[in-house]
Amino acid sequence: MAEIDEAQAQRDALAIDRSKGDFKYKEDYAFDAGIGLSPTVIDYIAKVKGEDEWIREFRHKALKIFESLPMPTHWATSDLNNINFQEIRYYLAKSQKPSRTWEEVPDDVKQTFERLGIPEAERKFLAGVEAQFDSEASYSRMKEELEKLGVIFCGPNEGLSQHPEIFRKWFGKVIPAGDNKFAALNSAVFSGGSFIYIPKGVKVAQPLQAYFRINAENFGQFERTLIIADEGSEVTYMEGCTAPKFETATLHSAVVELVALKGAKIQYITVQNWSANVFNLVTKRGIAEENAEVRWIDCNIGSRLTMKYPGVVLRGAGARGEVLSIALANDGQHQDTGAKMIHAAHNTTSNIIAKSISVGNGRSTYRGLVQIPKVFQNCRNNTECDALLINEHSRTDTYPAISVRGQKNSVQHEASVSKVSAEQIFYMMQRGLSEGEAMSLAVNGFVNDLVKEFPMEYSVELKRLIELQMEGSVG
Amino acid sequence: MTPSLEIKNLNASIGERAILKNFSLTIPRGEVHAIMGPNGTGKSTLAKILAGHPDYTVQSGEVFLDGEQILGLEPDVIARQGLFLAFQYPSEIPGVTIANFIRAALVARQAKGAPFDAKAYYAQLYAKMDELKMDRKFTSRFVNEGFSGGEKKRCEILQLAMLKPKYAVLDETDSGLDIDALRIVSEGVNRLRGPDTGFGVITHYQRLLEYIVPDRVHIMWDGRIVHSGGKELALELEAKGYDWVKQELATH
Amino acid sequence: MNTPTTTLGILDAPAQTRETQLFHSADWFAHLRQQGWQRFQTLPMPTREQEKWRFSDTRTLSLEGYAPAPAPSEADVAKLLQRSQLISHPAGLMVHIDGHCVLEPQLSPELAKQGVIFESLEKAVKHHPALLKQHLLQHPVNLGGDKFQALHQAWLRSGYFLYIPTGVHVAQPFVSVQWTLAENSAVFPHALVIADDRAQGQVLDFHFGAQLDSRALAISCCDVHTGQEAKLERLSVQGWGQQTQSFQVDNTCGGRGAKIVAINAALGARRARLENTVRLEGPEANVNLYGITVATDGQEYDQRTLQIHAAPHTKSDLLFKNALLGKSRTIFSGLIKVEPDAQRTDAYQTNRNLILSPEAEADSLPGLEIEANDVKCSHGATTGQVSPEELFYLQARGIPLKVAQELLTQGFLEEVLSKVSHPEACDLLRTLMQEKFHRS
Repeated sequence: MAEIDEAQAQRDALAIDRSKGDFKYKEDYAFDAGIGLSPTVIDYIAKVKGEDEWIREFRHKALKIFESLPMPTHWATSDLNNINFQEIRYYLAKSQKPSRTWEEVPDDVKQTFERLGIPEAERKFLAGVEAQFDSEASYSRMKEELEKLGVIFCGPNEGLSQHPEIFRKWFGKVIPAGDNKFAALNSAVFSGGSFIYIPKGVKVAQPLQAYFRINAENFGQFERTLIIADEGSEVTYMEGCTAPKFETATLHSAVVELVALKGAKIQYITVQNWSANVFNLVTKRGIAEENAEVRWIDCNIGSRLTMKYPGVVLRGAGARGEVLSIALANDGQHQDTGAKMIHAAHNTTSNIIAKSISVGNGRSTYRGLVQIPKVFQNCRNNTECDALLINEHSRTDTYPAISVRGQKNSVQHEASVSKVSAEQIFYMMQRGLSEGEAMSLAVNGFVNDLVKEFPMEYSVELKRLIELQMEGSVG
Repeated sequence: MTPSLEIKNLNASIGERAILKNFSLTIPRGEVHAIMGPNGTGKSTLAKILAGHPDYTVQSGEVFLDGEQILGLEPDVIARQGLFLAFQYPSEIPGVTIANFIRAALVARQAKGAPFDAKAYYAQLYAKMDELKMDRKFTSRFVNEGFSGGEKKRCEILQLAMLKPKYAVLDETDSGLDIDALRIVSEGVNRLRGPDTGFGVITHYQRLLEYIVPDRVHIMWDGRIVHSGGKELALELEAKGYDWVKQELATH
Repeated sequence: MNTPTTTLGILDAPAQTRETQLFHSADWFAHLRQQGWQRFQTLPMPTREQEKWRFSDTRTLSLEGYAPAPAPSEADVAKLLQRSQLISHPAGLMVHIDGHCVLEPQLSPELAKQGVIFESLEKAVKHHPALLKQHLLQHPVNLGGDKFQALHQAWLRSGYFLYIPTGVHVAQPFVSVQWTLAENSAVFPHALVIADDRAQGQVLDFHFGAQLDSRALAISCCDVHTGQEAKLERLSVQGWGQQTQSFQVDNTCGGRGAKIVAINAALGARRARLENTVRLEGPEANVNLYGITVATDGQEYDQRTLQIHAAPHTKSDLLFKNALLGKSRTIFSGLIKVEPDAQRTDAYQTNRNLILSPEAEADSLPGLEIEANDVKCSHGATTGQVSPEELFYLQARGIPLKVAQELLTQGFLEEVLSKVSHPEACDLLRTLMQEKFHRS
């Protein structure tokens, strides 16, 4: 039967992928800011990067904010208290300039990305790739025709020093350093990430991709991304991430700012597969101007604790915002994800669909914020949250906050919790599938409508990842 | 002159799209006029505009009810002046019982503060329901909520019978009805025919007109009336189909 | 100071001590009050930064200027007793004015013989110390109102104790009416309801201001305990005067197989906070929780609910409907908590807000915390206006806009109203809501 063949094929495919991200190479860095966080570390980072004075000041100010803000444990998990900021290394790099060809990339780094399939993906379906290894990008290249159209795809330092007229205006404006404790930390020690500008009317057909890799132990990765889509332009950006399994906790804390000007469209896709020792504390927010669209497609499978609530500020009339989110929490994992929609103009619409799966004693949490202030009319939000619980001690929480005023605004929120029905499993087992395979199929069915929103190559990868996580979840 | 519902050179649109194009029609009291036409020709829009629906924009034209201009009036004012619309898709009103709903509509037609004769009201309501073969338990059900297609249409005719308008526009009243329901609904309408009431019966098919025999038949095409005639026109249309109208139009 | 003692407010220790002495209460009761007073002193006032007070207007929270009022005049008693005849043939009617019990219920000899107890707290403290010691204010406060509950405990005096013994079914409702009369009166109504195994009964709680715009402070608590397979329905109508601050902390425990319906109607007060915790302790306990609110200009209704499923095969269903007019605000914050052992649980929660004015604000925080996997749980929250299509349909029948809106609003609220099983109470509530709608 077709179902069985497919399952067999997926199982075969999995045999290769099993330990895809779990390997590491010897640490050998030319630049190292040492262990712990202090103004000295910031001066070191600013110096090796040769940054302008205003950026150095921005970093120092952010550090002060970070130190002044409490851990948000009054609403978030107390697991945050297990992060020891003085035991983390904040900057590690082999060089300061990314290579333009894979040949120039140091062997161990090149092998890392080859094992992760990045150069192959680039050849097949990407418009541009940036591959970050710990603190800096090792490789960055974009198709020439895009360069000719005026598309900019570079790192933050290059962006801020060579194109200040484009990037400085928005840098730290969508997400100010004081937005939250981890945005402040990122603002103090950021390194790496993508700065992208799409000129007016340019529609980039193929996705731009960034790949983030943590190789060193006790390390914190703090990349910073800023994407500006000028009027009427369109772009899809994808990011993936992995790290080896270390004994000690690792920290990843990114800030991603998106700006979709009038009529522009930005689609931002994340497949997060950090190893289960990574604290992944990320702030993501987009601004959508008149008739613009910002769409976050966010998939969280890895990490020990993820806290991430992509948001859209709908600032122009007719703007649209969307968050599609998949979270899978396995044993020892807590996926604390969600979405924020701030309606700040007339006729704005937003849509949130969040699906989570909790396996073993895994915990998934949805937090949402939908806000429609008084002065605006004809705003609409629709939110759906569905949670699937696999085992007896799997856990899920839902904490939305919805605030509505004004005329002709409407908001609808629905959430449900369910488990895979015994009849469903029995039916599939009667057709010859093992209980685990049946469970995997059922879970893939649960997220299927969202997975379809991912580009094809990613949706296959995603299904495999889910399959992997589901193995051994029953019995 | 017989009082009438007179529509003169009506041009209307929804959004950017023009739907009624110089539409004119006069329905005198005491007559039943059928308005036939294919889907998407503007029949339902016409009904909604006559009733004052806020979604449509009228560019020009006039509508006189017994000589009084009613275009641009609030929907409830138009209704109280004597125009009744039987909806193609009647709204469900959760929590509001049929009895309370019709009562509120009747109270709105009384002088302010005038006493309401509840006993007479229920006597009349039950009598009309019996005629329409509706269970009396219906009065305590919420308006249209969970009704079948046939029940909704019967409920529309019940309201028509209770509110006694001067003019009634029936929008695709036959859609979604089986033959028994169609007969009951038609009988209900026929009982209300008389010198004081004018009817506009909007329909796609000739079938309804076997039960509600019209005095005049109008064929609507692309936002206006392109053909008018006696009841035999409906039969001719049934035999030849709407393509016939299209060809006729092309040759003129 | 030479000021008369009545000017001492609820925040003054000597007044609290003197009241305790005046009450001639048992030592254990005095001690309970003293504990409440001490706890009140140590707890801070809430702020909206606290998750449990999110969206609340905590800046205008104030306990200053309220005092327990002296006993009402005979004329006032007569007048308000008259107005307290809301339900014909109750099983018992109890009336309080400004915290003073002015009517003790007379139970029928038959009920008395069966062991039913329905008497004022004052009497119950003397007559049934064992039961009261066991149950009075023994619930933890879950939803943020600790300080207010502590103040309630410190000033605890008025209210009632209802006990329905094992297997006793009482068809007629037990009715309690609490009034505020004096300006700046502080009242602390308490209700303790125990329905023993297989007992059945109905409670109607009315809270009113003698004048429409009475200014008062009301902190009420109601604890409901049900035994195995008991059936209990409670309607609580909050109709304090429009200048009153109201805090209400309700706790309901459902034993094995118990069936409970709790309905909270909110009409009065300037600001009213309701904290309603339901704990399903025994397997197959079943609780329905309803809320109905008409909020008009200047009012804030702050509703916090918690459905705790602590046993398997339990079911809870919540529906809170709020209609908002003028510059009003409602906050609904509800949490369903399914504990790890509560497998085979069904839990639902729905909040629907109907905004009838551009000045109104509806905040919704529907939450789930699920720690068992074999459950059916869902929640939904919607906020919107009257449907334009429904409005047009009514107008097309000749019904004027304002009447049509009112009709649709009543229709919206009818879903909850229909859950009030006592016909007179249902009609009364409907009338109160219509009157309020007309006043706005």
